[in-house]
Amino acid sequence: MATTAESRLAESSRVQTASPETSGEREMKRRHRFQVATYLGPIMFVQVLFVLAPLSFILMFSVLKTGPYGNIVFELTLENYRNLLDTGYATVFFKSIYYALQTNFVCILLSYPLAYYIARYGGRWKASLLLLIVIPSWTAYIIRLYALKTILGSNGLINNFLIDLGVIQLPIQFLYTSYAVSAGLVYTWLPFMVLPLYAALEGLDSSLWEAAKDLGATPVRRFFRVTLPLTRGGLLAGTLLVFIPSLGDWLVPHLLGGSKFMMAGTLVAHKFTAAGDIPGGSCLAAALAFVLLLLIYFVIRFGGRESLEQAL
Amino acid sequence: MKLRILFLRLISLVTYIFLWAPVIVIIVFSFSANKYGIKWDGFTWKWYAALLENDMVRETCLRSLVIALITVVVSTFLGTITAYGLYKLKFKGKQLLRTSILLPIVMPEVVTGAALLLFFIKLSPLQLGYTTIIIAHIVFSTPLAVFVILGRMQRIDWSWEEASMDLGATRLSTFRRVIGPLLMPGIAGAAALIFPWSFDDFVITYFVSGIGNTTLPIYVFSQLRHGSTPVINVIGTLFTVITLIGLLATKMAEKRSRTARL
Repeated sequence: MATTAESRLAESSRVQTASPETSGEREMKRRHRFQVATYLGPIMFVQVLFVLAPLSFILMFSVLKTGPYGNIVFELTLENYRNLLDTGYATVFFKSIYYALQTNFVCILLSYPLAYYIARYGGRWKASLLLLIVIPSWTAYIIRLYALKTILGSNGLINNFLIDLGVIQLPIQFLYTSYAVSAGLVYTWLPFMVLPLYAALEGLDSSLWEAAKDLGATPVRRFFRVTLPLTRGGLLAGTLLVFIPSLGDWLVPHLLGGSKFMMAGTLVAHKFTAAGDIPGGSCLAAALAFVLLLLIYFVIRFGGRESLEQAL
Repeated sequence: MKLRILFLRLISLVTYIFLWAPVIVIIVFSFSANKYGIKWDGFTWKWYAALLENDMVRETCLRSLVIALITVVVSTFLGTITAYGLYKLKFKGKQLLRTSILLPIVMPEVVTGAALLLFFIKLSPLQLGYTTIIIAHIVFSTPLAVFVILGRMQRIDWSWEEASMDLGATRLSTFRRVIGPLLMPGIAGAAALIFPWSFDDFVITYFVSGIGNTTLPIYVFSQLRHGSTPVINVIGTLFTVITLIGLLATKMAEKRSRTARL
């Protein structure tokens, strides 16, 4: 009897001492939840409705069928994915990956010396030299590609110049070749490699070079053992910024490669806009997205999340 | 030693020429009398006169401007409150939210465009047109705003906020009078990035615009199909010149505010 009364007493006192705390905590929690909802509610709304829903929609349509009249048949099938492997699409995908890698590589080859030069020898011209890289990329993308066409065309600047010099009699076909596509991709995405590399090189502590030099490292060794490892973050960030858009590029192959030149981006656009094959296009888009997410996963794995956000 | 610098200089020079040649070609040929605008046939102003009379250019340019302005206002606002929430608050799923915000910019434009198109025509009551273009632009611009402003937040001194609140200011007036001005460089930077981004966008706009709702880049694209015309050179020149003026103005303002502070 006594024990139960005692325990009840103890219990009630515990409840009494605990209850104001929990209500205060609850109040805090409620306010916290309210804050999260006010500041982040709108973005969550936008994300769910206009990013996650559309992307899941792509996944959903990629397993549907196209009927004989271009209509969509609501019947689950993996046919689109099988087509991806069977038909020439796989080749197009590999070709796109090849072009994206090539673009990335050439961009690094051109950007690294440039960024290095600006960071180390730019002096008081640093800001201006960087601006000179950024400004051309602010002229609309489509207009710059048009300009490249003007230069490369059979009636274009290079051909006219060579004919006037008497080097060639007939114009050389530059436009609508794979070379034009490569040049266009590098041209379009180059600034996005220079900027992160510059940021990484600028952040380097020059005393590290001095130290390496004092310890007797040759310039080559200094570069490969000190500079390159320390700018890995910049290289990864630049790779994300260049590789992704060049893999999915549509306008460059479309305008400079001609109507027969297909890359992954061109194929997706073609399926959706011209062919009207929504399930097929969705499947290609999903595959493209998958390849990229894989790449981003590896970059985060090896470079850390910062390199992704630093890229911005 | 000398040779190495010479080598760096050479590569840098070649890269600069590579980047600038097309832009310079556009500017020079916009004054050329050649009717395809692809070689030099003597000086003329007539393509600029032709542009003034071209209703399509005027109309599409205005439309692109309106779209870009709305996009800038909405996405910098959304970006600011999101960045504030991400910076200040701790909650479950924060990392997931951050990653998901990055999605629209890490996806290739054709994928984002295709996904939005599919969503708009199959699931939403919206007709393809202005609204869908503006929504799409906000979707791909907001992530930029979020991360640019977040970058700024990591650099400001938050004790100002505490001081202001200790002195009795409400959260709202603290934001308006203290944090807002401190964040301004970030917000302005985001706006400066987003405006041309939205104004120039072709790929996503092409997917979600539907028929007849042409923006300037889409008009240029449709003109390219008909072969070269000098009007495109003129539009390109104006683009470059306007960008340069905007850039110089920002630099001058920056310099003035810096000297004023000193």
